[in-house]
Amino acid sequence: MDVISSPSAPGRHPTAAQAEMSPEEGAARGGPRRGLRLRRVREGVKAASGLPWILPALLLCVGLIYYCIGYTGYISSLNWDGISPNPASVGFGNYTAIFHDPLFWGALEHTGIFFAGTFVAQTALGLIFAVLLHSKVRLAGLYKVIVFVPVVIAPAIMAPVFREMLSPTGQVDQVLRHIGLGMLAQPWIGQTSTALPSIMAITVWEWTGFSFVLYYAAISQIDESVVEAARLDGAGNLTVIRRIVWPSVAGTTVALGTLSAIGALKTFDIPWLINQAGPDYATNFLGTYIYQMVIQLDHVGYAAALSILLLFVAVVFGVVLQSGWRNRKVMQ
Amino acid sequence: MFEVRSRAGKIALQVIITLMVLPFLFPLIVMVQESLSGAGFSNYRAVVDVPGFWRFFLNSAVISAGVIVIVYVVAMLGSYGFAKLRIAGREFYFWLLLACLTLPEVVLLAPLFVTDQRLNLYNTYWAVILPLSALQIPFAVLLTRNFINGLPDQLFEAIRVDGAGSIATFRHLIVPLTRPIAAAVVIFTLIGAWNDYLMPLVFLQSQSMQTITLIPTFFVGEFNNDQTKILASAVVTAIPEVVAYLGLQRLFERGLTAGAIK
Repeated sequence: MDVISSPSAPGRHPTAAQAEMSPEEGAARGGPRRGLRLRRVREGVKAASGLPWILPALLLCVGLIYYCIGYTGYISSLNWDGISPNPASVGFGNYTAIFHDPLFWGALEHTGIFFAGTFVAQTALGLIFAVLLHSKVRLAGLYKVIVFVPVVIAPAIMAPVFREMLSPTGQVDQVLRHIGLGMLAQPWIGQTSTALPSIMAITVWEWTGFSFVLYYAAISQIDESVVEAARLDGAGNLTVIRRIVWPSVAGTTVALGTLSAIGALKTFDIPWLINQAGPDYATNFLGTYIYQMVIQLDHVGYAAALSILLLFVAVVFGVVLQSGWRNRKVMQ
Repeated sequence: MFEVRSRAGKIALQVIITLMVLPFLFPLIVMVQESLSGAGFSNYRAVVDVPGFWRFFLNSAVISAGVIVIVYVVAMLGSYGFAKLRIAGREFYFWLLLACLTLPEVVLLAPLFVTDQRLNLYNTYWAVILPLSALQIPFAVLLTRNFINGLPDQLFEAIRVDGAGSIATFRHLIVPLTRPIAAAVVIFTLIGAWNDYLMPLVFLQSQSMQTITLIPTFFVGEFNNDQTKILASAVVTAIPEVVAYLGLQRLFERGLTAGAIK
């Protein structure tokens, strides 16, 4: 056995080198008791148990969050307004009611459209920005900051800005008129046909910077020589992007897909602060629906059932996307 | 990455990237411009003069600092455990944590409200710091674990041969080597904590406890919205985060580049 290269913890044991003997060897030399002791030492030597290290994270997250989920699961079986001391139990009544609730299916549909639209747009824009800002362009440092700053600023802070910009007298319509596209000017967030796309556009504005920094980081790790070799073989820019860049950042794309899906299911701030989920529920999402049920309509039990369904969908999404990711072994 | 040889091509590239960046700049310009319209800088004076403004600022700072410290410590300890130590059923615990990513804040409101009152935490900093930390930790662990996974095993073997136990390894290897990813964790945690609107709104009732994200509501009246001052307060709220990001930008990028999510 190679003593030097195997891991050991000599600090604790002056005889650590001996401890590196195989247990059989130890038993042969020092008798059965000594062999037992050495085996114990060896196991301690390999790598310490990590359980105490992850315990704080588990206590805080699992303790607090799973407690809340459990409590929510219990509330979801009640017909409760959040105040009355003796709520009636309705079993799965809330869940069956949800399946017949057109607003719930509407919210799910908005979530699907929202996810597809924002994910595709953010991926495309994020990747294009990352590729272009890795090229020789001027002001790249400044542009990087401009694209990322929206991620930093709270939706709660930007909402009034976008409300003003997208109003019929707002800057967006002004610009459209200015460049001769006045016929496109419309009350963007005031009509059902454009409200959801407007919310999606705002989300893309907020989150493209996030996709961008992750792609930018991933592209930094591509081996330069591979790109150069491809260029020598006559590959053009588009070929390099399609054949080298895109496959190398696949892990990032899957991670972003997972986060976008979860984000879409959780969407609350932007549709609520911009439009209060309106007009006529055109921008209603599960998050905004739950909020209305709890805060405005006092249907706490119903909202809890909605929350549990949301969690279920999100976890299924997460598991499917993540296991696909693991299988490709992109994540180490 | 993108290679253009000709002069015209270079100019075209520059024009394209500039045109793409402009829509991202536009809302920021509108925000600053509108915040100065009408009374000019007096709008900012009005924001700062909101009774207790500095108190709100301080509350936000205390809450963010608390969340950052907790998330940093817990995430570093946890990701070292997940990445380099032996844990039976490791992936199960990891999934248990990751599932927390899917939880919307709204779900926490009712259970926490009841619990906070039972434990006398209602209207204290803890009522906001603890749930915000719990919500931020999974993502921080995800980032940091991948980063530590990327550190070569030989380093850890070498320090073990030199006689270091896991605590010494943590102090002398993990803490100094994870500085870049720590910058990313700090930035994302700061964003999450400083920007949060719902938790302080629900769990901090007294005026002296409220946070800076609630300032715009002072200018949203029943009948008149003072738009310019709302935007001025938006700018004031955003400044500390933008400054923090610019200050940590280099480390932040290095942290993500060194293998955060590949």
